Amino acid sequence: MTRSIAIAYAVARKDLTSEWRTRELVPALGQFVVLALVIANFGFQIDSQNAAVIAPGVLWLALVFAGLVAFGRAFAAEREQASLEAMLLTPAPAAAIFAGKAIAAALLLVACEAVLLPALALMFGTPFNPALVAAVLIATVGMAALGCLFAAIVARVRSREVLLPLLTLPLWIPFIVAGGQAVQVAMGASGSYNQAMALLVDFDILFVVLTSLAARFVLDD
Amino acid sequence: MSAIVAYELTQRFGSDVALDAVDLALEQGEHLAVLGDNGAGKTTLLRILATAARPTSGRLEIFGLDAMRERKALRAQIGFVAHAPGLYPALSATENLEFFCTLHDIDRKRVPEVLAQVGLTNVAHRLADRLSRGEQQRLAIGRAVLHGPRLLVLDEPDASLDSGGPDLLASVMRGKSAVLATHDHALANRLCQRTVVLRNGRSLGAGTRLRVVR
Repeated sequence: MTRSIAIAYAVARKDLTSEWRTRELVPALGQFVVLALVIANFGFQIDSQNAAVIAPGVLWLALVFAGLVAFGRAFAAEREQASLEAMLLTPAPAAAIFAGKAIAAALLLVACEAVLLPALALMFGTPFNPALVAAVLIATVGMAALGCLFAAIVARVRSREVLLPLLTLPLWIPFIVAGGQAVQVAMGASGSYNQAMALLVDFDILFVVLTSLAARFVLDD
Repeated sequence: MSAIVAYELTQRFGSDVALDAVDLALEQGEHLAVLGDNGAGKTTLLRILATAARPTSGRLEIFGLDAMRERKALRAQIGFVAHAPGLYPALSATENLEFFCTLHDIDRKRVPEVLAQVGLTNVAHRLADRLSRGEQQRLAIGRAVLHGPRLLVLDEPDASLDSGGPDLLASVMRGKSAVLATHDHALANRLCQRTVVLRNGRSLGAGTRLRVVR
């Protein structure tokens, strides 16, 4: 167990160090989410009456597409530089390697969320509070686990950019439904925040366990 | 116990037969060269021997273990140099090896020793994408021997290496079993006791280096 944690930490650290030095992904994702918000701001007739209704939808749309890019790159980069095979040809458990990749990709998405949430509050005039941040962070855990699993599956096929959304988006719907409800309540709409958060935590546990079990079969061909 | 016993290894990709019922045996400490034209099946054979690919059919034992079932256990005993170096470009040479120390669960103190062995001490802190192609190949060789494997599987490791390449390969192969794919017959003769020649996925037979030279 300790060894698996050490391996997951080393893999995540390696990915985050590479991103810090190359700055390939996060600046591009940051720009993407800000542009998405600007377009949404012009596209919808936003006023104080409808902002709290429209903003959660815009948030999840931006987050889902940023997530697809972040998780897709997690394994695509390894395949392109032919380094995934070297990593898998060690006795390291596949689940630990997968966990490290998912943690790194999730943290990159969190960095993107650090731009998205304040920008959303600024442009739509919606509240920016701990309940909103917690809902998005909790949803990110399960989305990262699923996104990375499918990214690992499609990394070896040529049409991965098309396949990844097709496989991932349907399974992200529970996070968008429960997360959307939690975000709406956090922005002032009526409803049960705790119920939505409990559902998000349940989905997180379910998909983290399932993807950890499946990782072995996906990575070790 | 033999290092490798392979029986009728066959690899098909759709209707293409990349490897056709190849038999192979390698004693412990022995070095075997695999020669053949492009597309002969050398890389396919070496990827199977390194447990990076599963054959469509056939049987493979490495150090007495079934290579299809005991892949994880065997990987601690195999060092593989693939066609592409497969390094992390944004990590230094030292960081690349330290990362693999964690994956192999070995002490990081081994890293300076390996860097010295492959002649990269002077560029230990240079990012991998700033290394020359030959230096990258040396680093890939260093990664393959980092964990002290008993079997080395080397797919054209001499590609991009300078004139010191053969000496480097001789030094890393010393005391280990090794399978070396190359186009360089002189290198095969120098480093290996036996040679097998592949053509269109079939083995034309193994022989001593003398027979191949003739």
